[in-house]
Amino acid sequence: MVGIVSYGFYIPKYRIKTEEIAKVWGKNPTDVKKSLLIDEKAVAGVDEDSLTMAFESASSALSSVDVDRNKIKVVLFGSETHPYAVNPASTILAEFLGIEKNYLAYDTEFACKAATGALISAQALIKSGFSDYALITGSDKGMGKTHDVLEYTAASASVSLLLGKDDLILEIVDFETFSSDTPDFWRREGMRYPSHGGRFTGKPSYFYHIENSAKSLFKKTGLAPKDFSYGVFHMPNGKFPVQVAKSLGFSEAQIKDSLTVNYLGNSYTASALIGLMAVLEKAKAGDLIFLCSYGSGAGSDSFVLRVTKNLEKNRKEFTKIIKEKKYISYPTYLKFMEMI
Amino acid sequence: MSNVIGYYTTQFGELWEKSLFDLVEETIFGVLKQTNLENKQIDAVFFGNMLAGVLENNLHSTSKIAEILKINIPIFRAEAACASGGAAFNLAKSYLDSNNNKNVLVIGAEKMTDYSPEEAITALSAAASGEEQEAGLTFPGLYGMMANYYLEKYHYTEKNLAYVSVKNHFHGSLNEKAHFRKKITIKDVLQSPYVAYPLKVLDSSPISDGAAAVILTNNYDMIKKQKHSAIVLASEVITDTISLKERKNLDEILATKMAADVAFKKAKINRRDIGIAEVHDCFSIAEILAMEDLGFWKKGTGGQKIMEESTMFGGGGNLVVNTSGGLKAAGHPVGATGIKQIGEIFLQLTKQAEKRQVENAKYGLAHNVGGSGGTAVVTILGV
Amino acid sequence: MISPVKVWRRQKEIRKILGKKGKVLIWTKIFTPGSDFKKYAPYPVVLVELENKEKIYGQLVDYEEKDLKIGKDVISILRKVRSSTDEGVIAYGVKFKPLK
Repeated sequence: MVGIVSYGFYIPKYRIKTEEIAKVWGKNPTDVKKSLLIDEKAVAGVDEDSLTMAFESASSALSSVDVDRNKIKVVLFGSETHPYAVNPASTILAEFLGIEKNYLAYDTEFACKAATGALISAQALIKSGFSDYALITGSDKGMGKTHDVLEYTAASASVSLLLGKDDLILEIVDFETFSSDTPDFWRREGMRYPSHGGRFTGKPSYFYHIENSAKSLFKKTGLAPKDFSYGVFHMPNGKFPVQVAKSLGFSEAQIKDSLTVNYLGNSYTASALIGLMAVLEKAKAGDLIFLCSYGSGAGSDSFVLRVTKNLEKNRKEFTKIIKEKKYISYPTYLKFMEMI
Repeated sequence: MSNVIGYYTTQFGELWEKSLFDLVEETIFGVLKQTNLENKQIDAVFFGNMLAGVLENNLHSTSKIAEILKINIPIFRAEAACASGGAAFNLAKSYLDSNNNKNVLVIGAEKMTDYSPEEAITALSAAASGEEQEAGLTFPGLYGMMANYYLEKYHYTEKNLAYVSVKNHFHGSLNEKAHFRKKITIKDVLQSPYVAYPLKVLDSSPISDGAAAVILTNNYDMIKKQKHSAIVLASEVITDTISLKERKNLDEILATKMAADVAFKKAKINRRDIGIAEVHDCFSIAEILAMEDLGFWKKGTGGQKIMEESTMFGGGGNLVVNTSGGLKAAGHPVGATGIKQIGEIFLQLTKQAEKRQVENAKYGLAHNVGGSGGTAVVTILGV
Repeated sequence: MISPVKVWRRQKEIRKILGKKGKVLIWTKIFTPGSDFKKYAPYPVVLVELENKEKIYGQLVDYEEKDLKIGKDVISILRKVRSSTDEGVIAYGVKFKPLK
């Protein structure tokens, strides 16, 4: 059985409130909050990027277990805001972590599901005996054009997962994936900000792929939503995950703990994984967790995860950590995002 | 013994119309005229400059000077950040110590205003360690750290520092060649914007253009013929670590202390014999540290002593400091400063200082520092 | 453009001083930076003595004004240290953040 041995997350200190952005553009903040269900989002500082945040979350994941770093022979870096268009951040990360050179590294891209896709490949490399451990990172300093809905939702965060086959805290019981060519959200080479198809990002994109991915997995495993203690979905805004969960048959109680988007925003490749971080603060041994990511372009990876008794002693605080925050103004936000 | 027999300085300030070598040319012919010498009578030249290579890709200055002087002699360049001028003078004196009956020309020059302040600040930080530069520490930053540490350790405030700038601006108003001629008040200093806490704009020397030169000789016939001369009793250079963090103590510049000790020993005089001094006030804190490290004031008392205004022209004290206006008001064309300081002492000792003439000074001291204290040069002249 | 070789050599040294705790020995706050640091200004710079007695300079980030004092406990973190041109290699290095 392959699964997660250790985890780490990093959320930058800064937050910007929806009303701070809304008042610049003359929008009614209450209307915006009602439509997106986001009160505030996390913003990385001007000197932070997906790599520096990945280093924080990966250091956290590696510090809580006694693992010989030379046994980590797979390092995969998933992002849509890679520091370079060409030059692997995965090796920069591995080097700073002191992982020595006989490892496979590559950077992955599939919009918001770059990390979960990598997770699937990585567990296979462990199962095949190539490596005892694999380090996966999902890390983004999410960008959105001004005066666009993404300005309220695109956020920064990073999650790192150390995969292995012994002393697991979460077993990867099974997984499925669903892919198609659906251009709902994209960014061309050389463009700073992503573009999207507006309402096209809904039914034919997010909902279609998540529903099909989830249903494939339910069929494969014979499980149903009622068998899970928690459901965690990719969160582009506060409404979509609630709606898709309901349409699949999950209750509000099953997903409420995972809805980090309400107060942290959508950190792209880290989005669903941050939801998982919130859930792991509470989950108990034996709980089944349904994790379902979505990546525009488009595709969805779904996972059945089982919590083991090892989670208890390796549990990390989440609620307390994210309470340490500092609000910034709109001009400071633009400065941090290097938009001015 | 070597004597200084002549001194010329250009205006210091924003000299838009003059390039670096325009300033060098003006200075060379200025000082030759002062001393009634012909170019053929110069046996060697020493040139102090810090930034020409970094800012304008302008090196091999020695050959460029040869083109101006139109003679074929040894010419050398010295670089020790802001102590480039002092270092050039020291090398010139050493040259004379081992070559008899020679006349040497020492020039310091710098051209800084062709570039934006950021470019100049970045170029100046070449005198700091790689780590200091990487941390974003500018020169003001390094001195800001020293100032912050000093003020906290000895319980002073920014107001104590302000007295340095007020005094030096008053002196600058008496010096036609100074970059700044306007007097300022303590309030002006305290209200000026921060550059690197706790140092403010009016705690900091400016970015200036300028050149200065002296002629040094050990030819006694030459000395006798000259109207003015001052003996070089000592010129000592001491170097210390480039990194501020590697220094033994953060509230002193050890290189200054050591250079001063050797210089006073060589000159066979005491601190109280010095009536006039030019000390390196790149920032207000630097003058206070200098007065302590040179041995004029006890360590930690500078903040209090500067408020007594005894080192101000007309203040009634036995030692007047920075009558040129210091780096603060006269300006700080980096390579030229060390020579200007020695030149000012020369003017004072030979009674040529006009409106700012100090009476009865027999011995004078010039103190030039490179970087945050990586190099210190102490020169003592006497009449 | 910063030389990629210099960045590469430097990063080997940086690895050794990440995640280390220390105390502030001296500090200042830079208001007029050089070209590579304009984006970050105004920023504090601290000289920190690590637990192993090594002394390291770095900017202080994620701070409140009250954190700027001699003796403050800090920890070294990884951040971008200078913004070169859009074309150049990214220089990652050490900065510090205050510890509670």
